[in-house]
Amino acid sequence: MTTAESKPTRVCGRVARVAANTAICREHRAIEFTTADFPNSEPGQFVQLQCCDASEPSPRVVEWPAGGFPSLASGNNWDGRSAFLRRPFSIGDQWRDANGLTHIVIISRTVGPGTAWLERLTPGEALNATGPLGHGFRIPSDDLPLVLVGGGVGIPPLVYLARRLDELKRRDATAIFGATTRDLLPIRLLSEPATDGKPLPCAELAGSARFPAVITTDDGSLGMRGVVTDALRKWHADRGNQSRVDGVVFACGPEGMLKAVSQMTRELGLSCQLCIERKMGCGLGTCLSCVVRVRDESKAEGRRWALTCSDGPVFDREELID
Amino acid sequence: MNASETTYNDTGLETDLAGVRLCTPVLTASGTCGYGPEYADVLDYRRLGGFTTKSVTLRERPGNEPQRIVEVHAGILNAIGLANVGLRRFIDEKIPFIREMPTRVFVNVAGHSGEDYVEGAAELDKHDCIVGIELNVSCPNVSDGLMFGTDAKLLRQLVEAVRAVIKRGKLIVKLSPNVTDITETARAAVDGGAQILSLINTYAGLSIDTETWKPLLANVTGGLSGPAIRPLALYNIHRVYREVARDADIPIIGMGGIQNARHAVEFLLAGASAIAIGTALFVDPATPIKIADGLSAYLQQHGLRHVSELTGGLKLSG
Repeated sequence: MTTAESKPTRVCGRVARVAANTAICREHRAIEFTTADFPNSEPGQFVQLQCCDASEPSPRVVEWPAGGFPSLASGNNWDGRSAFLRRPFSIGDQWRDANGLTHIVIISRTVGPGTAWLERLTPGEALNATGPLGHGFRIPSDDLPLVLVGGGVGIPPLVYLARRLDELKRRDATAIFGATTRDLLPIRLLSEPATDGKPLPCAELAGSARFPAVITTDDGSLGMRGVVTDALRKWHADRGNQSRVDGVVFACGPEGMLKAVSQMTRELGLSCQLCIERKMGCGLGTCLSCVVRVRDESKAEGRRWALTCSDGPVFDREELID
Repeated sequence: MNASETTYNDTGLETDLAGVRLCTPVLTASGTCGYGPEYADVLDYRRLGGFTTKSVTLRERPGNEPQRIVEVHAGILNAIGLANVGLRRFIDEKIPFIREMPTRVFVNVAGHSGEDYVEGAAELDKHDCIVGIELNVSCPNVSDGLMFGTDAKLLRQLVEAVRAVIKRGKLIVKLSPNVTDITETARAAVDGGAQILSLINTYAGLSIDTETWKPLLANVTGGLSGPAIRPLALYNIHRVYREVARDADIPIIGMGGIQNARHAVEFLLAGASAIAIGTALFVDPATPIKIADGLSAYLQQHGLRHVSELTGGLKLSG
């Protein structure tokens, strides 16, 4: 049995305070919250946030979305709330301040009642968090070049990874972040990114990380016109015409992007870790709903269901079955 | 069971469930708490009345295709499909942990045929760390899962057959609400030899994507749980208690959308001797401990000495 005395690796139902809730682009918000005694996390891990008023006597009514169904939110103790289960968010950054308080940042895009509730949080309000959950990115100990490939709302765990890589004094890391268009890139810019795909320290990463970044947009409204795999191919070509370029790609983003990154890294001979997203129930490995197919030679069919929440959300490219 | 580690206290919560002594009347519900290790660091088993495992079938089952769960108003619809490791791996891989759990452990057993249930129950009954077998005759998410749960005659035969092979543990029958009259299946279970009734399992339900016109669950239909079903669960417990269980002296484990101690009190007043927490664990695994603390406070506030004084206390006029 785990004893209460051992240091916890995760906590459930921790009440945190919102420190900031700001728009970061047209659709995404950065929500920073603070809490005491939150366990350290690894980039790629996630938190489960309760997106409803848990204990207030008169909860706010959340209405969403335009043209959608009005919520019948009322009552107490999350009775009748439309956001019943917690919602999973990649940790976008985490650090401890001088007072020992843990700060956590998540990036949210309003897509339903839970994220609509988050959107309205104001500094000082309570937020109930469980985490950190799952397994994060595995950082290789040898000094391989690293590429952080993120698309849209999949960018946050890579921003956090940049902090960790900086702390580990890794020098050879490049970020490739993509969005459909300029005002849908959920990251702050320090300077205008290059249109030719040249990596520049133009993106605000976490901590004191200053790795060069390539920004791509589908319509060319910001940075390089194209998608992240175009930039990844260019990154590989720019490494010189070496017969072999070793490197590790960390990727998070929409399913289509992950498949493309997976295929390209296989072609280029790079290893690749993918941080995937699934709808979750508990996030704790009990409801068995966030399943994903993985290879398993010990099974007659050569495959089995893995749980995104506890076996992932980071998987090696070779584990996943498309 | 390691009784020395269990916290027995003077809060009036110790509960005798057909001869099984629980430190509180609050259990976990099958399918929402895994096999034990999953919540070990976030749910203090020493203060948990009882733990009911995920369903175990003879053979390993991978479960349904995703999407397996969808949130609906005030609850969730699930169609996991009885994904489980199977009896052999359960015994080899899960029992060693269960043996060390400082709470009472019940194992939920599901099957496709009477023989499946009998074989599974008989095998599990050999392990003295398991204090009881809960028969899952009410899973709405597999093709033949509801067969026994909705046919009173078949249910009675099944319960008789399983009871005949259980030498040591208690036999719980978990009832489905997807029937015309739950008192008929409750009576059949009791007549067949059930020592405890647990109710309710999930309600069959459906949720549709209005853009694609497709069901949101890969399995098309699923089982509804959470606060949405609480009044329905209470109604079923009320009836089973008054029409079957009370006179037969069979305790009820009540469940269905319980989230806090006040909900728990409702279930006890309706006739439950113990209650189980299911879907709420997904949001907060420590819910059973908070409910036990809340029940304790409730007893004090109302000048009650023991939680059993609440069971069936519903006042009806006339």
